[in-house]
Amino acid sequence: MDFELSEEQVVLREAVRDFLARRWDAAHMRRALDDPPALIPAELWKEMGSLGWIGIATAEDVGGSGSDVLTASVLAEESGRGLLPATLSSVIAAATAIDRGGDALRTSVLPALCAGDHRVVCAIEEPGGTWGPDAVTLEASAGADGWVLSGTKILVPDTEGADLCLVAARTPAALGFVTVPTDAPGVTVTPMRRLDAQSIAEVTFDGVVVPATALVGGPERAEKTLRATYDIWTVLGAADLLGVAETALEMTTAYAKERTQFGRPIGSFQAVSHRLADLLVDVEISRSLLYAACLALDEDQADASALVSAAKAFASDTAVRATEAAVHLHGGIGFTWDLDVHLYLRRARAGAASLGDPDFHRDRVARALGRDRTDQDERR
Amino acid sequence: MDLHFSPEDEEFRARLHAWLEEHAGRLEDAAGVMKGAGAANIMDAIQMARDWQRTLWEAGYVGLSWPEKYGGQDASLTEQVIVTEELAAVSTPPLINTIGLTILGPTLIRHGTEQQRERFLPKILTAEELWCQGFSEPEAGSDLAALTTRAEIDGDDFVVNGQKVWTSLAPIADWCFLLVRSDPDAPKREGISYLLCDMKTPGLTVTPLRNAAGGIHFSEMFFRDVRIPRANLVGDLHGGWQIARTTLEHERSGLSSVLALEQNLARLRRTASNIALGDGRAIDDQAISRELAQLWIEVEGLRHLGYRTLSDQIAGRPPGATASVGKLFAAQLRQRITHLALKIEGPLAPVTKKSPHVVERGRWNAAYFDALGHSIGGGTSEIQRNTIAERVLGLPRSVQD
Ligand SMILES: Cc1cc2nc3c(=O)[nH]c(=O)nc-3n(C[C@H](O)[C@H](O)[C@H](O)COP(=O)(O)OP(=O)(O)OC[C@H]3O[C@@H](n4cnc5c(N)ncnc54)[C@H](O)[C@@H]3O)c2cc1C
Repeated sequence: MDFELSEEQVVLREAVRDFLARRWDAAHMRRALDDPPALIPAELWKEMGSLGWIGIATAEDVGGSGSDVLTASVLAEESGRGLLPATLSSVIAAATAIDRGGDALRTSVLPALCAGDHRVVCAIEEPGGTWGPDAVTLEASAGADGWVLSGTKILVPDTEGADLCLVAARTPAALGFVTVPTDAPGVTVTPMRRLDAQSIAEVTFDGVVVPATALVGGPERAEKTLRATYDIWTVLGAADLLGVAETALEMTTAYAKERTQFGRPIGSFQAVSHRLADLLVDVEISRSLLYAACLALDEDQADASALVSAAKAFASDTAVRATEAAVHLHGGIGFTWDLDVHLYLRRARAGAASLGDPDFHRDRVARALGRDRTDQDERR
Repeated sequence: MDLHFSPEDEEFRARLHAWLEEHAGRLEDAAGVMKGAGAANIMDAIQMARDWQRTLWEAGYVGLSWPEKYGGQDASLTEQVIVTEELAAVSTPPLINTIGLTILGPTLIRHGTEQQRERFLPKILTAEELWCQGFSEPEAGSDLAALTTRAEIDGDDFVVNGQKVWTSLAPIADWCFLLVRSDPDAPKREGISYLLCDMKTPGLTVTPLRNAAGGIHFSEMFFRDVRIPRANLVGDLHGGWQIARTTLEHERSGLSSVLALEQNLARLRRTASNIALGDGRAIDDQAISRELAQLWIEVEGLRHLGYRTLSDQIAGRPPGATASVGKLFAAQLRQRITHLALKIEGPLAPVTKKSPHVVERGRWNAAYFDALGHSIGGGTSEIQRNTIAERVLGLPRSVQD
């Protein structure tokens, strides 16, 4: 029984935090709000590859570090804290899909991906007003030379420099990821703009032809692989939001100690301090749920998806509350472009509505609890 | 990171499980008694509850973390957790001497004299002596250190005069641990002593108060020239404040309240599946199922926060003010569960216990009132927020004194 990070995980956290403090400036995100989206520069990405971070949750025989989702969540949380584009999260998730899906792709794609020489993205969401694998409508229909893909994906992150796309599709064999080279005929990438200047795009597929072997995991494991990947990506999203929330709380607490009005620090007013205390509680609960969800995924527990949803719903609500409080409790200066606070608010808002918003995840929890109920009824 | 129990711990759990099954009948009696049923009168009910605690103790399931020489088990924290979990799983009522077990016992183990430990600890475990906590006063609640109940030294005794209030279980308690002002001239936190008082001492009278829910839970206690032997001073003279403060922290690993909340929520889900709403049942309504899901999320959050606190304790890291985090969150969650229950009852929410059409014999209105007390007793939610702000976040104090 030990429900805290291990020593190695704590060391990793310090190392990432230190690395990002030296190598990444949050001001990039502010500038990117007016310019093209913020991207992690190629040499930085390559360095993160050599540190073993890109392949953190990928098996060692294909160049990964062989660690678990919990360890990956440390990287995601620090990315949120440091306002680094969340590319690590999306690529780590894509890599686990290929790793778990097995196939020839493992050896052909993963070594270069883990090294930072090659990028893969996941395209899951569609313009249907909701999120996740259940809402996928994009079809891969049987054609003369294999399958033919047609449809639209949106909110696809980090398409710049990605050579391979994992497209969630309903194929004649199963629901799952289909691999499509981004330069295949019929693929069109159109940039979208995200509230926090992270890179997202619309990707359309117009009669794109792929072989039936492109289904990641094959007919047997395709759907499981897609769902597991979405869960992993979602939990990394929750970790990112926790990093955002905790940083916003720390910035605001520091300010509340130093800013004086009416002859005393504003942090001595309970309207201020109690709001911060409530946020500390929310942050601690978020962290506890995050650990629970990561552990459940790593141990392949039956209730893992419900815990992932719990972690994401709570972290989303917490991050939005914490960053809105940060703006408010900084007063006028909190409402300025030059202070980093709004960058955190933007990331919280965008993150909360990505990979399923809180209501989406509450509904997922409700369905899981309902299944439990039906199981019990049947046993009775 | 892992949440697994060792094979030895799992064996321990299996033994406890078997024992509980064997004693299921006794357990039902005890549960009935705590709900005020099955006994001819209140004194019988109390005796049955005492017997139940003693039975549990004899089997080795009370006082797990206490030293063996005082009747404890010298067991590990995880075994303690297993007992808490298993007892909750079969819906046992809280033990009648919980105040003695969770607050005074650990205090004496840390700060008591050898004579005090030998004299008092075994009888806390067996429920032979029930304890109540005499801290709050009419003018000293949140500002507990403002207490004025006076203790003057006279020969080998303290002579105590003053009034306590909101004392839970005072009419049935045999003993009381209380805070008194022993030095009125010292700064307010430095003139307080911690005493143990026999409830039968002449000059001590107890007046029960009816609480908002209608039941008797707490009382007023009046002290008029009550003589308490100096041997019943815990810790140093005038050193009572520090002792009280450290043991209030001790009170809360949080996991036992999680289990109670989990049961409340499971029951609420049953209520929601039984109550009709429109063409279906309340639980099928999207808004209600979402709220139920949110409450489940929060119970899971609290549970895993408890596991983190437990891990810290096992690893010997100080619990500190994180206990306030769990207490604050749990009190709010408990109240929100009952709010949703009454919302689900809809038009029947105001219907009381002895009325036709009442839902589940009025359980949720009772739970609603009970939950209201949780953000007041044991330090109000505002006081928890102050503690978190000052001791976790390091913000300046909001109150100057
Ligand atoms: C069910 C129950 C059981 C109890 N059992 C016991 C017992 O066994 N033994 C015992 O000694 N006591 C017991 N108490 C008493 C309890 O500890 C006190 O009621 C509590 O500490 C609050 O004190 P008070 O009632 O004087 O309220 P007050 O301190 O007067 O508080 C009134 C309101 O003002 C707020 N407030 C006070 N100070 C501040 C501040 N600094 N900042 C912001 N807000 C503030 C409070 O939060 C509260 O909302 C019990 C209480 C309840 C409800």
